[in-house]
Amino acid sequence: MKKHYVLLILLVSLFLGVFSQNIMAQNIIKEAVVKIEGEVLKPLSLSLSDFAKMKHVEASMKDRDGKAQQYSGVAIFDLLQQAGVTVGKELKGENLTKYLLVRCSDGYEVVFSLAELDPSFTNRVVILADAKDGKPLADGIGPFRLVVPDENKPARSAHEVTHLIIRFAKD
Amino acid sequence: MQIGSHYKKLTLLSILVIAITLIAFTGKNSLYTDPYKLEYPDYFGNRISIPENNPTTKQGVYLGRMLFYETKLSSSKTISCASCHQQKLAFTDGKTFSSGINDMPTKRNSMSLANLLWVRNFFWDGRAKGLEAQALIPLNDPHEMGAYMEKAIIDLQKTKVYPVLFRDAFGTPEITADRITKAISQFERTLISANSNYDKYLRGEYNPTEQESNGMELFMNSAEPSKNIRGASCAQCHGTPKMYMELFHNNGLDSIPKDKGREELTGMPNDRGRFRVVTLRNIALTAPYMHDGRFKNLEEVMDHYNEHIKPSKSLSVVLQNRPNEMGGKSLGLTAKEKANIISFMKMLTDSTFINNPAFSNPHLSQK
Ligand code: HEC
Ligand code: HEC
Repeated sequence: MKKHYVLLILLVSLFLGVFSQNIMAQNIIKEAVVKIEGEVLKPLSLSLSDFAKMKHVEASMKDRDGKAQQYSGVAIFDLLQQAGVTVGKELKGENLTKYLLVRCSDGYEVVFSLAELDPSFTNRVVILADAKDGKPLADGIGPFRLVVPDENKPARSAHEVTHLIIRFAKD
Repeated sequence: MQIGSHYKKLTLLSILVIAITLIAFTGKNSLYTDPYKLEYPDYFGNRISIPENNPTTKQGVYLGRMLFYETKLSSSKTISCASCHQQKLAFTDGKTFSSGINDMPTKRNSMSLANLLWVRNFFWDGRAKGLEAQALIPLNDPHEMGAYMEKAIIDLQKTKVYPVLFRDAFGTPEITADRITKAISQFERTLISANSNYDKYLRGEYNPTEQESNGMELFMNSAEPSKNIRGASCAQCHGTPKMYMELFHNNGLDSIPKDKGREELTGMPNDRGRFRVVTLRNIALTAPYMHDGRFKNLEEVMDHYNEHIKPSKSLSVVLQNRPNEMGGKSLGLTAKEKANIISFMKMLTDSTFINNPAFSNPHLSQK
């Protein structure tokens, strides 16, 4: 008799467990991440909380009306280094034909050559920003946006970045 | 002596066998030596998608055209791709929602099939990568064509014409689902529309009217009231001579969309109500408009962009705050300006495309 009770309790708790998990899954909103992939040694997928643990720097750019805007985020160079991209000492020879394809959730895409992002070539620091004036980025802009200082047009400072893809320029 | 002649016979025989196989092989190869030359203007660029395992050949394109118009591919034997994609309407069907088998309405409005060679993510929400993958979807849909593929293959195999056409296109008479989608895709890649008045204008062969000119300017420019520049920002999304950029945007149709669009695919709230920016080529022929066919004509489309953009968290940034008047709330185009933009959109109608005999129903001309 006792055995039956034990079995019943086990079954009921199992059922509840699965059931509540289903309910949980429905309530979880997918977390936005930015993925770093392609010609990398270590593909990364970073969320806002991963970002919070990384070293932040400031960068500023002009918006459409020509006003300077201050952002905070992680230098693209640091992100590439963490993913094992051939930057720094390795950025020579055929590696100079590699480019970064930035892809956004609305399908927008822009490219940079790796040399444009490497401090041994340039002093300009391009960042992937996650905050402006200490606040998270607005809907339609964030959670991650590129900030490219010193460009006359803001077109490469892409919004809603989801992928940083490293590729070789072929043919 | 006896042995010698045996050897001679054997050598002769083997030469014969080798010759026959060689002929057979070159014969087979010659099928693939008929590449179809896709011709398009340089201003479309070369970012085209043709999978390596499905080169475009004359034989493949012809077979694809036969299949595109083939009602035997549907369970009721009444529906073909062309039922919902009619050439005279730039390959749409003029309906809010299309009806397939049993008159079941489709979830979304039919799409024009023009210049698909440059599209990478198909459907209103971009869920199909590549034409080959796309074609399987209507064929296997119980409501569109009745999920009849397996039986259709048997039916086609029994016909006189199809085994021959498949052999011409793919080397053997065998009919498979893979070959059907490959051939249809080859045909779809040839549907290039590049001879509208706008193309003639780009080639320096057409002088736009005053209305068309003004409409074009408004379409291409973004408003900058401080500099006295009037504009409607259309080209921010529908720009380039292809008249679209492959982007996904919420263009302000609803604050709470019934059809969540791309969000259904990605699960991301910022994709709510986002749909693919589609080409505006032949737009005057493809009413009703939008993914749910809610606008009956281009006047309603212009009223939407000018006066009725619905705010929401995922509304495209491009459609927020672009007034033509200092401090204005909406776009603020005049009635005349709206009409001029429509005149420009009518410049995109390509009568060569909708009358091209190479895209018409081949079953009719056979009979
Ligand atoms: C019952 C009507 C119907 C039939 C039959 C049909 N389609 Fe469609 N087609 C549609 C609708 C509706 C859409 C848009 C669906 C969506 O986005 O969810 C569409 C979209 C497409 C697209 C996407 C175009 C783009 O720009 O993304 C292609 C390509 C296409 N159809 C080809 C075909 C082919 C090939 C066949 C035959 C094998 C076919 N269709 C049969 C209704 C139909
Ligand atoms: C922010 C990007 C964006 C801008 C700017 C924009 N559109 Fe669109 N347009 C879209 C999207 C996305 C769709 C498809 C939306 C849907 O069906 O839900 C669309 C659809 C259309 C359609 C219907 C296409 C069809 O086949 O049904 C027309 C016509 C159109 N736009 C015209 C215009 C005009 C004219 C302008 C300028 C006044 C304009 N658009 C500005 C994104 C944009």
